Amino acid sequence: MDTKKKGFGLLAKQRAAGWAFLTPATLLIFIMSFYPMVQAFIMSLKTGSSANMQWGNPITYNYARMFQDKLFQRSIGNTFLYLIIEVPIMLIFAVLLAQLLNEKHLRFKGIFRTCVFLPCATSLVSYALIFKSLFATQGLINTVLVHLGIFSENYNFLGTPASAKAVIIIALIWRWTGYNMVFYLAGLQNIEYSVYEAAKIDGATGWKTFWYVTVPLLKPVIVMTFIMSINGTLQLFDESVNLTKGGPANTTITMSHYIYNNSFDGVANFGYACAMSFVVFIMVAILAAINMKVGDTRD
Amino acid sequence: MKRKVVSVLLAGAMVASLTACGGSGSSATATTAATGNDAAATTADGAASQAAVADVASEDEHTLSVYAWDKNFNIPALQAAEADYKKNVDPDFKLNIIEQSQSSDVETAITTAASAGDFSTLPDIVLFQDHWIQNFVTNYPDAWKDLSAADIDWSDFGAEKLSYSTINDVHYGVPVDNGTVIFAYRTDLLEQAGYSIKDVTGVTWDKWIEIGSDVYEKTGKYLLSMDGDGNDLPYMMLQAEGKSQFDENGDPQLTSEDVKAVVDVITRAQQANALYLANDWSDYTDQTIVGDMVAGVMNGNWIIPTIEQVTENSGKWEITTLPTLKGGEGYASNGGSSLYVTANCKNVDLANDFLAKTFGAGSIETYDEALTKGGVITCSTKAGSSEVYNQGVEYFNNQPIYSTIVEYGTHVPVVKQSDFHYTAREQVAAAIQNILGGADIDSSLKDAQDQLLFAMGK
Amino acid sequence: MKKNKSAIQRRLIPSYIFLTFWSLISVFPLYWMITAATNTTVEVARGKIWFGTNAAENFNKLISQNDLWGSMANSFKYSIVQTLLCLFVCSLAGFGFELYHDKIKDRLFALLLLAMMVPQVATMIPLFKMASGMKLLNSVWGFILPSISTPFMIMMFRQNSRNFPVDIMEAARMDGLSEVAIFFRMYLPVMKSTYAAAAVITFMNAWNSYLWPKVVMLDNSAQTMPMLIANLAAGYTIDYGVLMMGVLFCSIPTMVIFFILQKQFAEGITGAVK
Repeated sequence: MDTKKKGFGLLAKQRAAGWAFLTPATLLIFIMSFYPMVQAFIMSLKTGSSANMQWGNPITYNYARMFQDKLFQRSIGNTFLYLIIEVPIMLIFAVLLAQLLNEKHLRFKGIFRTCVFLPCATSLVSYALIFKSLFATQGLINTVLVHLGIFSENYNFLGTPASAKAVIIIALIWRWTGYNMVFYLAGLQNIEYSVYEAAKIDGATGWKTFWYVTVPLLKPVIVMTFIMSINGTLQLFDESVNLTKGGPANTTITMSHYIYNNSFDGVANFGYACAMSFVVFIMVAILAAINMKVGDTRD
Repeated sequence: MKRKVVSVLLAGAMVASLTACGGSGSSATATTAATGNDAAATTADGAASQAAVADVASEDEHTLSVYAWDKNFNIPALQAAEADYKKNVDPDFKLNIIEQSQSSDVETAITTAASAGDFSTLPDIVLFQDHWIQNFVTNYPDAWKDLSAADIDWSDFGAEKLSYSTINDVHYGVPVDNGTVIFAYRTDLLEQAGYSIKDVTGVTWDKWIEIGSDVYEKTGKYLLSMDGDGNDLPYMMLQAEGKSQFDENGDPQLTSEDVKAVVDVITRAQQANALYLANDWSDYTDQTIVGDMVAGVMNGNWIIPTIEQVTENSGKWEITTLPTLKGGEGYASNGGSSLYVTANCKNVDLANDFLAKTFGAGSIETYDEALTKGGVITCSTKAGSSEVYNQGVEYFNNQPIYSTIVEYGTHVPVVKQSDFHYTAREQVAAAIQNILGGADIDSSLKDAQDQLLFAMGK
Repeated sequence: MKKNKSAIQRRLIPSYIFLTFWSLISVFPLYWMITAATNTTVEVARGKIWFGTNAAENFNKLISQNDLWGSMANSFKYSIVQTLLCLFVCSLAGFGFELYHDKIKDRLFALLLLAMMVPQVATMIPLFKMASGMKLLNSVWGFILPSISTPFMIMMFRQNSRNFPVDIMEAARMDGLSEVAIFFRMYLPVMKSTYAAAAVITFMNAWNSYLWPKVVMLDNSAQTMPMLIANLAAGYTIDYGVLMMGVLFCSIPTMVIFFILQKQFAEGITGAVK
């Protein structure tokens, strides 16, 4: 009886401790993310500027507006284009690089790893400036391509919609592949060498080992990087602003960039910006949920 | 052992930050309260700027705070005014100039403060872009204090400049710099192609395109470049015609004959290699102007320092007016900004007096210094007649460009302004880009008009 | 044996080629940044990619016209405070969520993940209102409060806590250690590579953050490095030599931190427990 009571007390104490540990973080997220989000939602139902905002008439005014907003629809298209092309390429390169760097006999591992990671340690301003000048009409890439005879004359990469999108994708791949690679590399290093030895004894080839042994063991990491990348790409902002300013003629603008323009640039339409933010939020949440369902690891 | 040391260190840091966190509420408010007093008590440079003041507006009766954004341009002008006022009016005066990275940061600050319903975050005075102010006074009327109490002789300034800062017949702003457009040419290159600056003055745009095409063929340089995405060009060309993208009722007119004619000139000039459209602003300045790709530059006169960066071309430039559609000298204005007193100013009398006795009075001490230190050219005819203004400028072949520009400024026609000035410009720019990409001019302008109407909520 | 070794190296030649190629591409922009910092603006605009002689002048201009050291000090102050607090709060939460987990806590965690998907632009104005109401503008608290607790960091600690040996917790409890003591004396040392990884990521985010600081840090004296660079990169005329010198100074701290912590970073990112 006595011991049981004591045990129960301990358990309660433990449970209380568990809650106490996660309370500060949880409270902060509620205050710093959820509360502003609720406020933003309320604003998404209002129209007008600044302090004298009024309830929309009808209440869904801002949401209805999106259906007529060609530019917003285009920004959705652009963002998804970046997502569909960039994320798979980047993650495949990241896995490949991680796989190569995980080779036991590879020399200069530290140097390679550092080099591959460096892009994401560079500040955003410098990286945008560098890519702009590299891909400028009179820039290095053009000079090289013309010299090699691949192009007959200098090409305006950032001034043509299709190639401007390509430059954004290339820049994203350059900056974030190393970052994701580190996650995979760490994941790979957690896999015991004996697992590979066993696969070898079973007669699995390199590719088969990778597909049937490495990938399943990496699954939690893959899911995590996917969620991070989807989230990052759907909220893509800096590259669109700094590399192309959304141009030429708004053909490369992203959703977040367009929302930003609506909330801070010129005729601020904050209610509308909030409404669009909510649509983005719902999109990201749905995609992440699908992702987690597909790659559920807990059980 | 080593591991243990690391963990102890980490734990120590954690505990330190925990205690810091625990005391956050009280300590943070304590600091702000303390620094608030600090700022009031100290007028010394270093100490005042070191203090983190939550409320940037000044409480001190000799201090004003102001937002400005270019330390090579308008910040020296403000410093000049500060020195002027300090010397001639109030020896204890101090102007706390808070640097923003670009003009749009000031706009963002107003938008943010207004959207949050809290103007207490604003400084006493802001430097604000002329083209935006109408929009901001209309949308956030509570953010400003008008200048009806300030003792300023408004007739000293050009009517066109004042048309921006005067809203419903009330003066809100004091002009600082002048946005009068110049067309600067490399006379050596013109000569090389067999022309002089007279041949490009007062001509029609059609003739100008011919000359430009010829100059490109003979020298490999474009007679003009412009940023393709912001597109100041159609606006300046329209203004030189005395036209606007909006009609008298403020309705957009992007499908009008005037806009169409201007857009047509731009596309033809680009196709004839007379005009080079850079992708954006930095490409425009860095590649085309500093990169020495052009034989001509047309923009607000604040573009002059950019031209002057290429030191080896000193003495080869001269300035003149714009071509027009039907011939004759064209005058326009682009950019430029004025100073506005915000709702958060607690010492309105000081702000009014400061503005009235420096920029507003055409003070030669302020403006001469602003010109020599920052290249800021005045809109005040009084200040523009000073000795400094009438000196020849070596870079421009000893032409007295500053007084010339002030003179040009008096000819600029007043055109209809709109809250949606920049939105209209963006749409026209997009239309031009689409047309250059092969789209039809009528349908592109129609699209632009529709987009603009959508943005205006019409 | 020796022969075997060289055979392996020969088999790795494609790997070396690919890795070298990728490394060069990764490093080139950095090289460009360094050379640009030594050139005049005209040389940079014209695409010079070799070292110039203007480094001293660029540096002098940078420090004479800008408060470089002040901005550096601010950036360090904000980033370090944010990193320490974020690590503490999030690791505590990760520890709580994983090692004391039950159904309610798992649900709560899933809810917190939603916060990761909130677009930053949407919450900025409500947050600004809050910060200005609490008189936190221009203060370190205004800078860090929204990013002390991030779902991503909690997730990382929670994920990595799975490898934490639960048995020793029981043993420690038997020995009479309190839950708090378990966290400080056992969890913290064991998870130190996770802390290193989290520190690198948080520091980098704090150091490079721009949008939010731009909104809350209104005074010159509160300016951070990215804000200083943005000032250099705007204006009617841009001096690229000076700008790249500034960018160089802005990039050094994050790189140094990565260099120092890279081994722990790689180990800690997915929870190796050593």
